[in-house]
Amino acid sequence: MAPLSPDEKARVRELVGSAGIAERIARGCNGEYYLTVTGTEFGPLVTALAARKCALIGLFCTEGFSPSARFTLFYVFEKCSTILVLARDSGTLSSSVASLLPSASWFERECRDGFGIEFEGAFDERRLFLHETYPEGFHPLTREFKNAPIETRAAVRPEEEYPFRKVNGEGVYQVPVGPVHAGIIEPGHFRFSVIGEKIFNLEIRMFYKHRGIEKLAEGKVPAAVLPIAESVSGDESVANATAYCCAVEKIAGTVVPDRAWYIRTILLELERIQSHLGDQGGMLVDVAFPLGASQFAVLREEVLRMNARLTGSRFLRGMVAPGGLFRDIENDRLDTLKPFLMLFKKRYRVGLKIVLSTTSVLDRFSPTGTIRKDLVRPLNITGPAGRASGGRMDVRADHPYGVYDRYAPAVRTLQDGDVLARFTVKASEILDSVDLIGRLLADMPSGAIAAPPAIRDGYALMLVESARGQNLCWVWIRNGVIERYKVRTASFCTWQAVEHAVQGEIVPDFPLINKSLNLSYAGTDL
Amino acid sequence: MVNVLSCLLKPDVTEETVVRDEEIEAIGRELHKEIDRTFGRSLAIRALDTGSDNAAEIELNNLSNPYYDAERFGITFVASPRHADVLVVTGAVTHNMAIAAQKTYEAMPAPRFVVAVGDDACTGGIFAGTYAVLGGAEKILPVDLKIPGNPPSPAEILVGLLALMRKAQASR
Repeated sequence: MAPLSPDEKARVRELVGSAGIAERIARGCNGEYYLTVTGTEFGPLVTALAARKCALIGLFCTEGFSPSARFTLFYVFEKCSTILVLARDSGTLSSSVASLLPSASWFERECRDGFGIEFEGAFDERRLFLHETYPEGFHPLTREFKNAPIETRAAVRPEEEYPFRKVNGEGVYQVPVGPVHAGIIEPGHFRFSVIGEKIFNLEIRMFYKHRGIEKLAEGKVPAAVLPIAESVSGDESVANATAYCCAVEKIAGTVVPDRAWYIRTILLELERIQSHLGDQGGMLVDVAFPLGASQFAVLREEVLRMNARLTGSRFLRGMVAPGGLFRDIENDRLDTLKPFLMLFKKRYRVGLKIVLSTTSVLDRFSPTGTIRKDLVRPLNITGPAGRASGGRMDVRADHPYGVYDRYAPAVRTLQDGDVLARFTVKASEILDSVDLIGRLLADMPSGAIAAPPAIRDGYALMLVESARGQNLCWVWIRNGVIERYKVRTASFCTWQAVEHAVQGEIVPDFPLINKSLNLSYAGTDL
Repeated sequence: MVNVLSCLLKPDVTEETVVRDEEIEAIGRELHKEIDRTFGRSLAIRALDTGSDNAAEIELNNLSNPYYDAERFGITFVASPRHADVLVVTGAVTHNMAIAAQKTYEAMPAPRFVVAVGDDACTGGIFAGTYAVLGGAEKILPVDLKIPGNPPSPAEILVGLLALMRKAQASR
């Protein structure tokens, strides 16, 4: 923990509104600020931060962090380029901030399932990732539970089933969808309350794929957690591996060689291109426009094949390592990317034109599934979804990592917040990513691809811009092993925006709206 | 920024896209022949994700892109387990998906086959032995074939289905 410069002090004082409190703020390994708050300070401070338009981008629990309490809750606030983490001691009883900061609702339910903390005043006290078959009183993230197979119930009685919000009234009926869907889609349950064809209310239930990612990482040496980070979400493998490695590197003070960062950045941008192409193809499938969908499906396959030629993995796995990269990509192979991307760009523009000059597609895309701008901060909607609704956040620009300070992306913002806006923002970002990779290839430095591995005890918060937005990761290393690996992908927050986006739309537009966001179920369920 | 209006005013004419991959063509021809012999023209597959990291789903979806276009080999992905010959399972089986997975299998008409796609579905992968999963697909379903990989590529999935056809033929 480092003391603050006068300049930083002024900035944080403005944020917390009190010189006395600001004195106690210290800087963490990655430039994030930490403040330990007492029970009486907490409420007024959170109210003040909310009034100053800070977004609550994360809330997670740790056990054994503070000598004076069993649990410590970390509230992560973001305002432009400043990250302030409030550390609040807690027993098994705490108080809820969800009425003030809606993004806290799922976070608090997550802490409750994991650690058994009750949040007084919470408006939603249902379990989150532990479904009905899990036994009562089971809290897998506590220290006393050692990770091992457990007994769950084989059946659930109807009266024990998850209580969905009920919308009553004449002509209102429920449409239950999932968890197993009609296509090749990840599992999740969507409960529509419908009047005629119109969606009156949607409630989303996730966490069918809860695999225990965070517990699995505990007690492992840092290098052994990489396959776990890559499994958070298949199409965000590079983003989550990079976030994890950066946190480990920041704790140890490792300086990653330039060449490693150039190649990491190329991989991050290839992953973005691949992911956006999948979303765009999917949107076109959902409006029954195969001519357009095929263009993007072909290009995506070609990018995946290029990925395999460069790294041996279509999903770019096994490349990012703590300290840099596991292995280099020789210049000969990197050079093949340039002509590939030139041709890609030309053909992508053709595909884009086919789509955007087809009025029947535009008619379905706009105005459909609008996410209002005033939801962006309260729900922490980031990535293309946030930017298509007037947000200006992009981790690459707000909290640059690696070489993004030298290669700052243009932040593409639209105001409409509908499917067309998301499609268009993603199109612009694909073209930007292609250009960015071109610049990185032109400036590619030679030299080492990894710093000597160094592991030090400590903790750090890291944000990375994945294809879907802001991925957060907090790593705490103690005695050389992982004590806590907290992951929160962009999807976790943005799922709650889907419930708002579909209101007043018709059920047949739901797949399109869902696909325009294309959120990760795996990355949410962990 | 991409300008929608300019695209609308100046549309392009589409060009032919060449998407031929001889390796896939050879596997596909063989697979088509075997499907014809064993199932009489078509093989209906129901995909079931019991806890994957979504990479396997992406590769299953890719089987429908123009490079593979698996439908021309007789493979269809169907919307209901009631229409399916094969249940393709991806991911380790989580506790939260166990009941839904069981119900999906029970809804299938016999004869039915179960194929585990990807390391996690084959053995539980890195999640084996932890609190949140039961293990690989075989913990709750009778698995006929395992296609390992993290994730297996579309070509590997096709080769796996070819092996399943030969196995089904042999057991008739």
